Amino acid sequence: MNKIKALFIKCFDTVNNGLTKFTKKESAKTVITSLWCALLGLFIGFIIILFINPSNAFDGMAATLENFFIFSNSDTRLYYFGSTLAKTAPLIVMSLSILFGYKCGLFNIGASGQYTIAFVVILFAGLVGNLPWYLVMLLAMIAGASYAVITGLLKVFFNVSEVISGIMLNCIALYLGNGLCQSNTTVWDASHGESFKITQGSQAFLPNIGLDKLFAGNTVVGIGIIFALIAVIVIFVVLKKTTFGYEIQTIGLNPEAAKYAGINKVKAIILSTIICGALAGLSASLSAQNGFNSWQLSSTVVSAGFDGISSAFLGGLNPIAVVFSSYFITHITDGGSVITDLGFAPQVANIITASIIYLSGFSAFIKQYISDKDLMREQKLLCRGNNKKEDK
Amino acid sequence: MAAEYTIEMINITKRFANIVANDHISLRIEKGEILGLCGENGAGKSTLMSILFGLFQPDEGEIRKDGKVVEIKNPNDATALNIGMIHQHFKLVEAYTVLQNIILGSEPLWEIKKDKLTIFDRFLNFINKKVLKIIDYKAASDKVQKIVDKYGFNIDLNAKISDISVEMQQKVEIIKTLYRDNDILIFDEPTAVLTEQEIDGLLKIMLNLKKEGKSIVFISHKMNEIFKVCDRITVIRKGQHVKDLLTSETTKEEISMLMVGREVKLDVEKPAPNIGKEILRVDNLSLIDKETKKKIVNNVSFNVREGEIVTIAGIDGNGQQDLIYAITGINQANSGKLFFNGEDISSYSIRKKNRIGLSHIPEDRHKHGLVLDYSINKNVVLKEYNLKQFSKYGFIKDKEIKKYSKGIIEKFDVRASSEGDTVTRTMSGGNQQKVIIGRELTRKHDLVIAVQPIRGLDIGSIETIHNILLNERNSGKAVLLVSLELDEVFTLSDRILIMFEGEIVGEFNPKETTREQLGLYMSGAKKDKVNAVKEGCYNEQN
Repeated sequence: MNKIKALFIKCFDTVNNGLTKFTKKESAKTVITSLWCALLGLFIGFIIILFINPSNAFDGMAATLENFFIFSNSDTRLYYFGSTLAKTAPLIVMSLSILFGYKCGLFNIGASGQYTIAFVVILFAGLVGNLPWYLVMLLAMIAGASYAVITGLLKVFFNVSEVISGIMLNCIALYLGNGLCQSNTTVWDASHGESFKITQGSQAFLPNIGLDKLFAGNTVVGIGIIFALIAVIVIFVVLKKTTFGYEIQTIGLNPEAAKYAGINKVKAIILSTIICGALAGLSASLSAQNGFNSWQLSSTVVSAGFDGISSAFLGGLNPIAVVFSSYFITHITDGGSVITDLGFAPQVANIITASIIYLSGFSAFIKQYISDKDLMREQKLLCRGNNKKEDK
Repeated sequence: MAAEYTIEMINITKRFANIVANDHISLRIEKGEILGLCGENGAGKSTLMSILFGLFQPDEGEIRKDGKVVEIKNPNDATALNIGMIHQHFKLVEAYTVLQNIILGSEPLWEIKKDKLTIFDRFLNFINKKVLKIIDYKAASDKVQKIVDKYGFNIDLNAKISDISVEMQQKVEIIKTLYRDNDILIFDEPTAVLTEQEIDGLLKIMLNLKKEGKSIVFISHKMNEIFKVCDRITVIRKGQHVKDLLTSETTKEEISMLMVGREVKLDVEKPAPNIGKEILRVDNLSLIDKETKKKIVNNVSFNVREGEIVTIAGIDGNGQQDLIYAITGINQANSGKLFFNGEDISSYSIRKKNRIGLSHIPEDRHKHGLVLDYSINKNVVLKEYNLKQFSKYGFIKDKEIKKYSKGIIEKFDVRASSEGDTVTRTMSGGNQQKVIIGRELTRKHDLVIAVQPIRGLDIGSIETIHNILLNERNSGKAVLLVSLELDEVFTLSDRILIMFEGEIVGEFNPKETTREQLGLYMSGAKKDKVNAVKEGCYNEQN
């Protein structure tokens, strides 16, 4: 009996030690933090919809979380899972744009503007120019990059904060987009008051290289998601393994030390704004070239760049983790859009995502809390150990 | 006879995550005495004093004031018990005046004072006390002026903090504690930022305070100061109480030994210099401040040769830092030329200067020397990461860097909890400095520029770092040292250059000069015309 007890205690200790070791790791803390953010956000969102419509609150929440699982047919599920994936791809890439800038000490708030310019270029290249998809994608990236480099040049040569110039360029891009799209009848669908979409059959439509068979015939699941994953790997490798990544992270963490070490700040900052812009452009390409989105007249800056900010932070600014955070955000926004049937305004889903995103802003705070708890536990253990010594 | 002590800290124990910062330390302060608290960096001095000031809570032990057990939960409790602390890093509001800073937090409020208060007067007083809180600057200024006169602080109460010198700022901190009627004052390494003359002034003030019956705890690394003012000395080492001594019955050597736990040679042995060819020549270098348009470095010329340590001494802020920035390229010089091994490097970028063999141990470890959030591994290749040795086609070779970093950690005895992967932010100042020195001396170099390499370090680390620099010199490297501490200047230098207001005003051989003479030149009382460029190699054999 005692043996079993001893064995049990040993097992428990091993698991406990392993867990402690795991939670001590910086990356583990980030994961736990992000999970907490998501859970708390869901909870707060739930309370809000409880106030709006108590009788349907549970159903609404369930629908939001279930998204495509709401369908009983496994093929239909797969089909809509594919759609969600296709919508995730641009968000992943946008998060990468934000996070890459952030590592270099740049807050790329101008991502929305870069996205907008790229979007307009895609519409013209795809609808008017009728170019093949890869050329359109390339043009989009070039457009985003050249728009972003304005921010970089202003920062490097005139010491203009990238946040200020980013906000200004966002506005310019927005009205430029509105004006340009309306000016051309091939692009502008006057009867619907929005631009045409790049639809299946168009040369600019992203191919799906047989992926539709995996997703029950859903043809929008193109190579977008694959491109997004490739971008993730490339950015991960650049940050972790290259001298360029080392340079920009040194600048981001301590610009004075970077100067002391002789790192060329002008070159590094301009290059990273170019990369940020190219990623924002790629994000526009992935969201416009699969037939989901059109350009709509608006007087507010598109939210794509800001969604990228929240997803990047919810992912703890880790290129791998943003894949999951982006998917999570897309999953609940997508799920939320169906709960209108339950008597909720479509904005309710936005409330839930907003509260999660809002909480991701607290991620630093939550992380600190976890670390403090760790410290306290260690202290307790230490005290216990010392007391034992004294007892002897 | 417990009542004789004004403060007793008994068996204080404080544990942090995995270290015991204070292990059953007891400390007693008598009324009207100056107690010196000695110990190496990380010995637990600051933790102990922070506990007394209420910044930390002890895990065990108790604090008694005048024999009664008290609980100090936060600095407000400490202030209520008349305990004041003068921090090493000042806590002043730059944009406020001296007076505003002094009264900050306990401002006297305006009120009507009469023998007979009408209801209306009382109402006004009440409103001001509870709602308006208008400050009575007249009363405040009177009270502060009284203190200033009493202790002979020579200070302008209406000057802005950003406009006054470091010495004055420290006086403001002291007046702040006196204004609050504190009678137990904790001085946490107050002299680290002061010059020799200013230190004398501060020590006089401390003795005056003692005469007034105040009790003082004085933390300092510098034995001279401790022995000048302290009545008793408490030594702690590695979180444990070592010994209480009367200053009159001990020696500097004994204290140093108790602090470090082994014998420390404060004077390093120095063989005769073996001087080779010229490595660095600075030719009429000038630098103009962008804001004030003043020449902060004014036509400076000197050279450094193989096998010698040239020291630039002077009072802080006389252009030493700017001179080094101009040489290393962090700031561009406005005129003048730089030669390195005979090559004109005036227009070289920082990277190019690094590559041809100029090593720089910067003054500010955190600002320039390290990327604090990087591990040791990443920090040791801060300048070399893109050399062939550490990268290929733009990809970093992690294994090579790890190996290189391991070598530095072993050679320079860097103590780090998880070796090369330790994030430098978590390390002590001495070990951080060792990482920087290790990096700068392991890379290919002919010249080492060391700016205040021992700033804020304890005796043990100072000894190590001085030995390292002497080794460099003995192995035929050129060393340019910037130092504010005369002890260091005399221990290490082969030639001393004095800098005053951006100019080099004197050159001395350390064997033929005295501290007093240097002091005259450093304060600008005397000036020579100097040609600090020395030609020729020689081998001085005794």
